[in-house]
Amino acid sequence: MKQYDILVLGAGPGGYVAAIKAAQMGAKTAVVEAGELGGVCLNVGCIPTKTLLKSAKVYESIMNAEKYGIDIKDKNSVAINLDAMVKRKNQAVRRLTSGVKMLLEKNGVDIYKGFGEVVDKNTIKVNDEILNTKNLIIATGSSPMIPDIEGIKESFEQGYAVTSTEVLDPKELPEHLIVVGAGTISIEFATLYNALGSKVTILQRSPRILSGIDKDLSEAMAKVLTKKGVKIIYGVKHKKFEGNKIIVEVNGEEKTFEGDKILVSLGRTPNLKGLEKLNLETDRKGIITDERLRTNIEGVYAIGDINGKHLLAHVASAEGIIAVENIMGKDSKMSYDRIPSCIYSFPEIATVGMTEDEAREKGYDIIVGTFPLSANGKALAEGDRDGFVKIVANKEYGEILGVHMMASTATDMIAEGVMTMELEGTLEDIARGIHPHPTLSETVMEAAHLALGSPIHTLK
Amino acid sequence: MFEFKFADIGEGIHEGVLLKWFVKEGDTIKEGDSLFLVETDKVNAEIPSPVDGKIDKLLAEVGDTIHVGNTVVIIDDGSGAGDITRGIEIKQEPLSEEEKGAGVVGEIEISSEVIESSDEGKQEEKEMKTKVLATPVARKLAKDLGIDINLVKGTGPAGRVMKEDLHEYKKKNEGIIESKYIKETNVFAQPLGDTFLKPEIKREEIKIYGEVERVPISRVRKTISENMVLSKSVIPHTSVMDDFDVTELVKLRTEQKNMAKEKGISLTYMPFIIKALTIALREFPVFNSSFDNIKDEIIYKKYYNIGIATDTPDGLMVPVIKEVDNKGILEIGKDIETIVEKARTKTISLEELYGGTFTITNYGALGSSYGVPVIRYPEVAILGIGKIDKKPVVLNDEIVIRHMMPVSLSIDHRIIDGGDAGRFLLRLKELLGNPMLLLLS
Repeated sequence: MKQYDILVLGAGPGGYVAAIKAAQMGAKTAVVEAGELGGVCLNVGCIPTKTLLKSAKVYESIMNAEKYGIDIKDKNSVAINLDAMVKRKNQAVRRLTSGVKMLLEKNGVDIYKGFGEVVDKNTIKVNDEILNTKNLIIATGSSPMIPDIEGIKESFEQGYAVTSTEVLDPKELPEHLIVVGAGTISIEFATLYNALGSKVTILQRSPRILSGIDKDLSEAMAKVLTKKGVKIIYGVKHKKFEGNKIIVEVNGEEKTFEGDKILVSLGRTPNLKGLEKLNLETDRKGIITDERLRTNIEGVYAIGDINGKHLLAHVASAEGIIAVENIMGKDSKMSYDRIPSCIYSFPEIATVGMTEDEAREKGYDIIVGTFPLSANGKALAEGDRDGFVKIVANKEYGEILGVHMMASTATDMIAEGVMTMELEGTLEDIARGIHPHPTLSETVMEAAHLALGSPIHTLK
Repeated sequence: MFEFKFADIGEGIHEGVLLKWFVKEGDTIKEGDSLFLVETDKVNAEIPSPVDGKIDKLLAEVGDTIHVGNTVVIIDDGSGAGDITRGIEIKQEPLSEEEKGAGVVGEIEISSEVIESSDEGKQEEKEMKTKVLATPVARKLAKDLGIDINLVKGTGPAGRVMKEDLHEYKKKNEGIIESKYIKETNVFAQPLGDTFLKPEIKREEIKIYGEVERVPISRVRKTISENMVLSKSVIPHTSVMDDFDVTELVKLRTEQKNMAKEKGISLTYMPFIIKALTIALREFPVFNSSFDNIKDEIIYKKYYNIGIATDTPDGLMVPVIKEVDNKGILEIGKDIETIVEKARTKTISLEELYGGTFTITNYGALGSSYGVPVIRYPEVAILGIGKIDKKPVVLNDEIVIRHMMPVSLSIDHRIIDGGDAGRFLLRLKELLGNPMLLLLS
């Protein structure tokens, strides 16, 4: 019987990172994966969506080339090769997943392919093989949540209703895509298919899209999408699915929407199958963990989507490292108040920390600085003027509580906010740091100046 | 395996020189057996083993300077090899003055290797730094809370002080820190030990105009110098002086000397002075207090421990006689003898050097008459005793010969005024002028 110090269940961005870290810290480590190495993130999440979005971006740029002084005589000759796009996406995925395999092997982690069933907290069964472990890290992730709506099952069986997984491998471009839900995933696919020329309709239950992020950002994004022709219907009650149709209630009226595909994107559900024997404490979101990623069972940790705290790859990775450090006797804690999150829409959205409303609700006396991209040289040069940077700071010391931005490269710019918060930095620090010119990053500095009450490149 | 780390053996001790090993590798030892002898700036101390076991490895050599926190010896206590640390070496590099952090608790040097044993993967932090690592918010917060950030243990990466650490520190020291402005030198706000003021002086190279010899000062000398700087920079001193007519006391002592000798005590004037002092201190409690200038409060001490400034071959030491108010004159006399001897032979325990509430310095023993004694921080007064001499004195309009004892009293003028000092001296004068009062009190 194989004996391990640490066994990781699931090799997504949480699991594989935890396994590498564990091996590096000297623990005998194994990882068990039922699907593909890299989990949702590498195979059917972060990476493939970004690959397709890039293709869409290129297409959009070509179609708008005259904006930059380039005339295309016959736009009809510009064709989308969907197969090639998907192939390119698959190549990127393959490269990364094989990279993960190589990293695990080189670090001396044993990989078991198969569904890991928990016999007890020290015993895992994979393909009739019994593995013994001193510590268990559960990193089994999540799956798209399919709500219990009349006709939805049949609609899936008929291939009209799809989840984010299927929608990554389109055989043909849907003429009309209906997106049920308006979270990050919904908005990214709405952006993707809208850029590729599909008609997109978003059906949203609440009165705004992206309800988790700063209000100004979600309003700005709604505006951008609407301008590009995406239809957003708010206050929707889903009644039933009928093949390629969805019947809803809006403002007391019954309405029917018909599309080629209906993307069901209403959140995700934790993958708890195979863990039943552990008697873990769970709630609606997943396994309950503390800031050290401990569960209610001694020696059992849960990281990533399975604990339902933040369904983000980078959180899973960070939690993986923290969990391993705790197992190895180092007292480490997760800080959940500085977690960046990104939306790869056009333009991108990126946020970290508290929203303006959250900060006010928590009773902070805050100052806010919002600087528009339209006042930034690089944004004008590139012709991407939509967006802004908003900094929320504590009035007392100017401590940064949150940074929220919408810009063409917001996802790469947010790291400045993350790092400043990690170092408990202040508006003063951001404002004094010399930001290179011309860059979009200057907008972060300008927002800080603005919050301090002395903006240089805008008027108060 | 048990890593024996040199621990703080008492207030203010943070390093010492290893003088002698009592064990060698392979020896079997019992809990309580002495491991080694260490010379600190106060005493020589034998350090006992906290566990039974076998000496696995000695990590320091005779003559090495060991710091609090250094692993000095590894003892195989049967706890298994899983806990062994990997080849820790005590690295000793002399610190330059500039490198020494002011106000950090002990300058702990650690090995360059991170010790990651399975039961304690905690990385010790280097505490030798000129500037404490702290986040901008933590710095602002410290300023606002009136906390000296140098005193706060940082939990961030590389020991960075985070805002949370300040909240923790404040919680721990609740009731100590309230003032918005704290002098970095205030002992009350600081952890025990190693809290000496380092005044901002422009350090200039001393110009030399001829042949010289440079001799490094001893540890004791260094401690004295730091203590003196602290006292004189924090306490606004003033002194009052007087001559006490102690003719009656001289007579009493002469009469009782032999009786004491039979009991093995050589009776000096000191026990009488201490007895008189105890009575006066009870009547003037402010002289037995400390001044907490953070909370703006006076800490009146209800215990009477008298320090005796003692001239030893290594320099000044102040052993303390505890609870003098519960002791008779002979007992005090015996205590003085014992403790002064211990101080001179460096066999005194740390406990016997701390806890003083008032100090006496007897420069009369060396023939001097008056002085301006330096108060021992955080005490608030010190009594200097000069040499008792026969002097012509006018008594009832007649010149008579009397035994006179010159006395100098230095006070902390922040909380004691000249009037109090005068009254305190008068009471002492009365008590020592009429020793029967001492016996009857």
